[in-house]
Amino acid sequence: MELTFPSDFKYLGAVDAAIQDLAREFAFSQSSINDLSAALIEACSNAIEHGNKFSKRKRVRVVLGFNGGSLSARVYDQGGGFDYNKILARSLPPEPISERGRGLMIMQAFTDELNFTYLAKKGLCVELVKVDKDSAKKAEGGEAG
Amino acid sequence: MKITQREVGNAVVLDLNGKLTGGPDAETFREVFKSLIDRDKKNIVVNLEKVSWINSTGLGILISGYTSVRRGGGDLVIMHASDRIESILYVTKLNLLFKSYESEESALSAFGEK
Repeated sequence: MELTFPSDFKYLGAVDAAIQDLAREFAFSQSSINDLSAALIEACSNAIEHGNKFSKRKRVRVVLGFNGGSLSARVYDQGGGFDYNKILARSLPPEPISERGRGLMIMQAFTDELNFTYLAKKGLCVELVKVDKDSAKKAEGGEAG
Repeated sequence: MKITQREVGNAVVLDLNGKLTGGPDAETFREVFKSLIDRDKKNIVVNLEKVSWINSTGLGILISGYTSVRRGGGDLVIMHASDRIESILYVTKLNLLFKSYESEESALSAFGEK
């Protein structure tokens, strides 16, 4: 399943609806759905704001996939990338009243796997993976997927 | 994001409706808080009952409001946050910053109103 949309926050609702529907289809628990949705919305927000810098000419692409109890979402922007290793290495949380710097916390907290890949001259790809035990059991039993 | 204001006792309740995601919402929120501070309204309850979700930029908007009000000697609390929003506040440790209430009555009691 794939979604491509302009660099505008107003499309985040459609992304939320898509991941909710897909995760429900694969018997994810509501808690796992909420987690994955929060992380995906955050990744898309970053792609729109920091990757594409709200450029109307640039698009965000989301590719969703299911594999035996785990859902993955790859979010592609068309920006210049950023030093994600530096941000990942940051050990201290932001100051309590800082208005920025919580996106990565949200993505890390709500996923089982988080990968960043910079694709030269194309943009950044953020991959989020969420595993759901109930969904995995059903997938093993052939009841879902 | 639509924001409606209600004065209840010595507090102002802001009923938010929509998704708190930043962009134009940030400017709307800033204008609302500037107006509140200009009118010396310091006790603010943000009603999140009709906010389906929030991202980190939306959290920044809430923090901005909180900072403005606190700077003026007031306080900002939230009420009716969904499980989704509560879990985001928890993982970002903002549950330590925002007092969160399940009812309007208890939120208003933070300001000495019943």
